Amino acid sequence: MIPAIGLLAGVIAGLLLDVSVPLALQPYLPIAIVAALDAVFGGIKAVMEGIFDDKVFVVSFVANVLIAALIVFLGDQLGVGAQLSTAVIVVLGIRIFTNVASIRREVFGA
Amino acid sequence: MPDDAPERESDEPRFTPAKPSGAKRFWRAMTKRPQRNHVAVGVLVAMLGFAAVVQVRGDDEDALANARRDELLQIYDGLTRQGDRLEEEISELRRNRDELISSADSENVALEQAQERLLQTEILAGTAEAEGPGIQLTISDPDRVVRSDIIYGAIQELRSAGAEAIQIEGLGNESAVRVVTSTYFVTLESGRLRVSGVEMVPPYVITAIGDPVNLEEAMHFPQGVVSKVESEGAEATVTQFDELTVDVLHEVSEPEHLRPVPEDE
Repeated sequence: MIPAIGLLAGVIAGLLLDVSVPLALQPYLPIAIVAALDAVFGGIKAVMEGIFDDKVFVVSFVANVLIAALIVFLGDQLGVGAQLSTAVIVVLGIRIFTNVASIRREVFGA
Repeated sequence: MPDDAPERESDEPRFTPAKPSGAKRFWRAMTKRPQRNHVAVGVLVAMLGFAAVVQVRGDDEDALANARRDELLQIYDGLTRQGDRLEEEISELRRNRDELISSADSENVALEQAQERLLQTEILAGTAEAEGPGIQLTISDPDRVVRSDIIYGAIQELRSAGAEAIQIEGLGNESAVRVVTSTYFVTLESGRLRVSGVEMVPPYVITAIGDPVNLEEAMHFPQGVVSKVESEGAEATVTQFDELTVDVLHEVSEPEHLRPVPEDE
């Protein structure tokens, strides 16, 4: 229940507050969001399988975001930032699809 | 619960609730009483929602602001190339415009020259009126002694003195003829003068445009037109004018036998 309220509060805060993304964070925020989405879908899947653990969720969330941002940062330093961010997006996208497929099986049984 | 063990085999459905569907578990988690250790999860998810909304709204503002350095370089290169192409196009169009302007100018010059030539040709052919300084030679010939060769000689003298347009009138019957290259003079047996098929009754008035002094001198030199006319017993007077009009027009007829030789053959 608290996570749902948190999501709602976050969205409302983002809509109400006129905040622009800091320049230094601009290349990393989209990647971090996708990484966090991966963690969230993994968490939903875990809830449905009855194996959700808040500690695992927090660790995986933070680690996902940090590692994704780190990879992109490294890529930028090496001059392959665009390609590496594409790679990260592809991997996270595949994981999100897998998680959503599991959730779909749990919900619809198919 | 050791005492439950025997019942297990006989009462299988008892274990069905132990394995609820994913959706049911999710709904249960949603409606469960809030747990304290879920606060961290809630905070993280709130951050995700906040960041996602901020990012989406920022994207609307400026697409370039989120581009990476090499993407910006690529865009910049593309724009530079496009600018170069447009620059070339501009200079080519400028050249075209200059060519068109100069060709229009030369066309105008050609048109002016053609109009000038047309005017000169029209005056030569006698199809346009002409005005300017000149003289009038009046031959009063009540006895009709002046023959065509004298009139023709007068025209020739006027031409050699530089007359540019000539007309001859017979005031007696108000006839008039523009003198052009095809004009002819004959004297009929009755003594009447016929100019290009038009019969003329004296007094004759020959109007010539040219330098008045030269033209008058050409009429007066010894054995000239005036003395010839006077020796025949008629009277000739020459009057100079600063402004004269040759307004009789020659009607050009279509050639019957002639056809132009084609050029460049």
